[in-house]
Amino acid sequence: MRPLRKGRRRRALLSAAALVAALIAALPFAAWPTRATAAARSELPAIADASSVEHHPGKVIWADLITPDLAAAKRFYGALFGWTFRDLSIGNSDYAVATLGGHPVAGILEKSIPPNEHRQPAWLTFIAVRNLEQARSAARSQGAKILAPPKTYADRGAQAVFSDPQGAVFAALASTSGDGPDYLAAPGEWIWSSLLTEDPSRSAAFYKSVFGYEVFDLPSDDGAQHVILAADDYARAGIHSLPPGHRHPHWIGFVRVADASRSAAQAVALGGRILVEPHEDRHGGQVAVVADPAGAPIGLMEWSDQYTEDQAELK
Amino acid sequence: MRRQSAPRKAVFIAGAALLAVAACAVAACAVGVGGPGYDGGVGYVGGYYEPWGYDYGGWGGRYRVGPPRGGFGHDGGRRADGGRPTGGGHPTGGGRGAPSIPGRPRR
Repeated sequence: MRPLRKGRRRRALLSAAALVAALIAALPFAAWPTRATAAARSELPAIADASSVEHHPGKVIWADLITPDLAAAKRFYGALFGWTFRDLSIGNSDYAVATLGGHPVAGILEKSIPPNEHRQPAWLTFIAVRNLEQARSAARSQGAKILAPPKTYADRGAQAVFSDPQGAVFAALASTSGDGPDYLAAPGEWIWSSLLTEDPSRSAAFYKSVFGYEVFDLPSDDGAQHVILAADDYARAGIHSLPPGHRHPHWIGFVRVADASRSAAQAVALGGRILVEPHEDRHGGQVAVVADPAGAPIGLMEWSDQYTEDQAELK
Repeated sequence: MRRQSAPRKAVFIAGAALLAVAACAVAACAVGVGGPGYDGGVGYVGGYYEPWGYDYGGWGGRYRVGPPRGGFGHDGGRRADGGRPTGGGHPTGGGRGAPSIPGRPRR
């Protein structure tokens, strides 16, 4: 009996050890779905649909809103533009990707403002580059400050944030997924970007040297200077004089809307306010600037499909 | 007794070693989510918020920031340096008007 008991005990011990080993070996596989989910929720996503990887240096390809109240921003922009949101967790911060018709259009990052700092939320404009390091060197050599050094996110690409020589803040992005094809923005999508600055000529020289734009002067009858930055034979952004008394150079993005007056009124009803009343602009449509409930300015712009047909006839 | 405890001890040591390896693997899974160089946050946030309360108003009708409609028939403008265009689309010679925004609808 004794040898038999000894054998049983050994076999039992070996079985138990084998079971423990098998369980331990299976742990990483059991954890795999959780890990994959966490990774998907923790990376800034691609800015363009992966189906077409086109690169258009100089094109404004993305915008991130930095705001202290993500939920309020989602309510406001969702109702105003019909955006829907996909929530992510970036490190310790909450981030939402806004989509329209299934396409990503913008990002919203929640970041609290330290109580001792009086700061204002804003949208950050991202301009496409092929090579971020080259853009960084060019920007620095032309007098820009680097607010955030180049940083690479696997899905989004490499990005850095700068303040241009006159103080306007922008970001450069070498997108991993390309810059998206050129098409006419649909209502609810970004259609235009403008830089308002004290010296448009000086700003144009800076952005031309960093992004390789062609620069066009527009005729002016209002005493202000208007410059167009173009690339790939498309207007990519405008640079305009700040009016007297304004000393805050800044970029602002415009979302295409069907009716700027109606959208501005809707923005007010949603808790925003009007910063620039709707009025007709040079292209024949109305523009307005509103502030979201946290104070971030955003532009509204009408654009008629008829303009595009005129343009085709002229070409 | 000695002959019985030796294999038992070996089994426990092997189990403990496996446990340690598995614990390390699980810890690596948890820590390595963001990949190399990931600092756990979006680095550009720190210095970004704009100064508080800058006055955005005051333009009135002078807030003219829209894009040109393109071509010579409108307010197309001219190349600032007067030189030949270097863009990739339509090399039409010097002095052409400023282009407009993309007009092709999304398919």
